[in-house]
Amino acid sequence: MAITFPWSKRNSHRDDPYWNFFINTPPADLGNTVTEMIRKAPEGNIFPAKTELHTPEITTSHVKGMAEYFGAALTGIARLDVNDGTNPEGLPFAVVCAVRAEYDPRKSPGIGGQVPVQNGLFVTFVLSAWIRELGFRATAAPQPGDEKLAAQARLGTLNSEGRLVTPQFGVNVYVANAIRTDLPLAPDG
Amino acid sequence: MSKAEILEEPEVEKNDGSEFPTPHLGRSVRIVGQHVNVDMNESPHPKNARGELGKPLFNWYRNTVSKDALTRVSAPNHFADRRQFLTNVINRSTSGKINPRRGAVDDPAAMTRHIKTVALYMGADVVGIAKAHPSYLYASGGGRYVQDGTAKDEYQNYTPEELARKFPYIIQATTAWDYNKLQAHRHHIGDAAYHVSQIKGVMVLKALEGYIKELGYTALRGVVTPQAAGVAGGIGELGRNGLVINKNFGARVHMPDPIMTDLPLLADEPVDIGVEDFCKICRKCANTCPTNSIPFGDKVVHNGIEKYKINWLTCYKLRPYVHDHWGSCLTCAAVCPFTKPNVWWHTMTVSLLHACPYFARPSLVRFLKWIDDRYWGMVRNNRVRWLGYDSGVKPGDQACTVAGCNASHEGKGQAVVGDAGYYAPLKENTNRFVKRDA
Repeated sequence: MAITFPWSKRNSHRDDPYWNFFINTPPADLGNTVTEMIRKAPEGNIFPAKTELHTPEITTSHVKGMAEYFGAALTGIARLDVNDGTNPEGLPFAVVCAVRAEYDPRKSPGIGGQVPVQNGLFVTFVLSAWIRELGFRATAAPQPGDEKLAAQARLGTLNSEGRLVTPQFGVNVYVANAIRTDLPLAPDG
Repeated sequence: MSKAEILEEPEVEKNDGSEFPTPHLGRSVRIVGQHVNVDMNESPHPKNARGELGKPLFNWYRNTVSKDALTRVSAPNHFADRRQFLTNVINRSTSGKINPRRGAVDDPAAMTRHIKTVALYMGADVVGIAKAHPSYLYASGGGRYVQDGTAKDEYQNYTPEELARKFPYIIQATTAWDYNKLQAHRHHIGDAAYHVSQIKGVMVLKALEGYIKELGYTALRGVVTPQAAGVAGGIGELGRNGLVINKNFGARVHMPDPIMTDLPLLADEPVDIGVEDFCKICRKCANTCPTNSIPFGDKVVHNGIEKYKINWLTCYKLRPYVHDHWGSCLTCAAVCPFTKPNVWWHTMTVSLLHACPYFARPSLVRFLKWIDDRYWGMVRNNRVRWLGYDSGVKPGDQACTVAGCNASHEGKGQAVVGDAGYYAPLKENTNRFVKRDA
């Protein structure tokens, strides 16, 4: 039995015989995962009346505060290239949210290993729906290169594997789908 | 109970009264007589959805869109577009199948620890497991109750006894909402605290339901009355305000639709944290309820259950009148002396109440209530500012009070001066239109 102190890190799950199944066994039916339900959900309409905004700096702090309230550990704003072919709608900003990840979701396909993805989808679903309800375009559709955007938004730097390394949590973060939007924001980079 | 015992359980067994003895629900609720299971169609929201509570309530429920953007994405029924509301997305998705490769559970105690850890890992704040009893269930034939969704399965026509026999455990996992934002109740800030934690709870429970199915066991939804599961599962005691009061969070915990399952587990016991003794004396919620829906008197026996019976109809009837300003009242949750930040002095006080012998509790409660009245006041009207919201701005008025904002906000009203949040004197005003019972 391992010795634990009150200040030790929370349990390492070594005494839990089902933990490995929870983290590493991929689900037999994807219909049992919330991640699949949220991924398949279509995006809603943009509210017809635009909300009156504060200055871009204040709006940015509100977007970041809202993301943090929904569960994001780190949030940054990246400026997008509006003339880029990968950005056909010409949306100028990307809100990049990262959540804590004890296990790397790319290597842990179990429902437990995918919990960071689930938390990330929760943040991006609700946050992008909220921006649409403010009357602005916002899409959280998955696109490659979210980690580069996170590095661009100064959440951290990329390591040799292309993973985001942050000063706060090291590599133990998962970058959720970037929300591309035309809400006037003040980009971090 | 091991897996083998469950599988070998005799299928046909008549209920002669000894199979399901009257459950012990702690000191706050007692089953004292014949209990008739409630048809979920007779609960408030389904009644209202059929228009049985009158036009204003029907229109409020079905045909109104909130003025607040965050409420439109987080509150049931007041969205502009159903697709933006996460609960709707999750509860209307087709459920997955039960994994045919069922994992054996040799040690239910280890599985109980695991399921609780999993629920907390997914984001729940409190988890409790109750031993199933037919009286906790909705009446058979009435259908399932899942808000903004459906839950149909092959057990639809089972009686409560058959369900409790086949699925002996109920898992209630729930989220608590933010204390500081709750201080601005009767305001969109309070709504944000309530509704965002609610959609988070819906997601956590759905994920837990999926995980139980992946373990190879059944997980039923919409079968159990949530508060019965909460009290029986040791999440808290039932207070005068009709809310389950938890030792860490007080009344600020949701009671979502629990999971009924045949996964072998060990059930928790009901708790005693002194709610029974406190509610007898305190009456803060009854004094401050804007619609007088909370009783001042003693417990009554309703449908065979001894408890404080709130008047849900008068509570409900207020809602269309305040829809323009806020969504959820939350006064009874906010003023409850148990509703405090989850910090050491709160834990210490609740532990003290728990350890105090029964005869000395009234004196202790009077002392604690005196402290509560002195430091927290009768009703919370702190000024809370959060992401551009400001509870110092009167509901309905608009004013920008964000420090350093130099955007043009022409023709907007003024915020109140000072550190007081807006507190509508609803109690006096609602006397004009809320018809009271006796």
